Amino acid sequence: MALSREQAGEELAAIDDVVRRVKQSRIYRVSGEIAMMWGVMQFVQYGVFALAQSRFGWSWLVVDAIGIVLTALLLRRAGMGAAAGPGRALAAFALFYGFGFVWSGLIGHYGPHEMSVFWHTLFLFGYCVAGLWFGVGFFAIGLTLTALILAVYIFAGAAFYPLIALVTGCGYILCGYWMRRA
Amino acid sequence: MRAPDEIIHQPIRLRIMAALTAPGCDTQGLEFARLKKLTGATDGNLGAHIDHLTRAGYVEATKAFVARRPRTTVKATASGRAAFDRHVAFLKEIIADAD
Repeated sequence: MALSREQAGEELAAIDDVVRRVKQSRIYRVSGEIAMMWGVMQFVQYGVFALAQSRFGWSWLVVDAIGIVLTALLLRRAGMGAAAGPGRALAAFALFYGFGFVWSGLIGHYGPHEMSVFWHTLFLFGYCVAGLWFGVGFFAIGLTLTALILAVYIFAGAAFYPLIALVTGCGYILCGYWMRRA
Repeated sequence: MRAPDEIIHQPIRLRIMAALTAPGCDTQGLEFARLKKLTGATDGNLGAHIDHLTRAGYVEATKAFVARRPRTTVKATASGRAAFDRHVAFLKEIIADAD
């Protein structure tokens, strides 16, 4: 059986399409797991805040450090190791934290609510940018959660902390669940 | 003149083999449900093609119960991966010859 150049080209294009979709599916799957893990971390973080407000300043550092280690482990488990995974992910975290510290600690004079909103929206901005490369799902999550967080900031008043915990915790978990199944 | 692999040449089977040999899936395999999404095939159609590939020794399917629900995982065998590589080389040869 002979194949024409066009038929061969079509088959190769079909293969490329499937490989691209498999890659995207793997990225969505591990990103979904990571988002769900960070959702749980939000509840832990705001739970600690509710129990011991005076130590909150340091507790978030510990919770974030645990989250970063778990993120690296999830990436490694998904086989996104040496070449493109934890090293690059840790560098991305370092860049975001560096940028965040410069603005929140040196330049900006944020109150507690603004600080909370700033850090959440900073990382969600990362989701939006990631969407340009890894699929519209990231963009949708970044934009939706940013809008909800801003709504909480503007309208929640005294209920800010419980609502921000609910929106970020449940938001990451639900979005992660959706990404895992997408 | 070399010929295409008649088993892999069929569009759905080509997509199945492409998915199962893609980086990251070549060792772990893929669940039936995920394979269905990736190939765009129906349950019955996908099942029939997986049977065809299994009979040819290109893939192996394992069934297990996870949380009391049946889960089928399909994985390319060594001969399936080799056959797919040969088929891709054949396709690239056609393109190269025509240039």
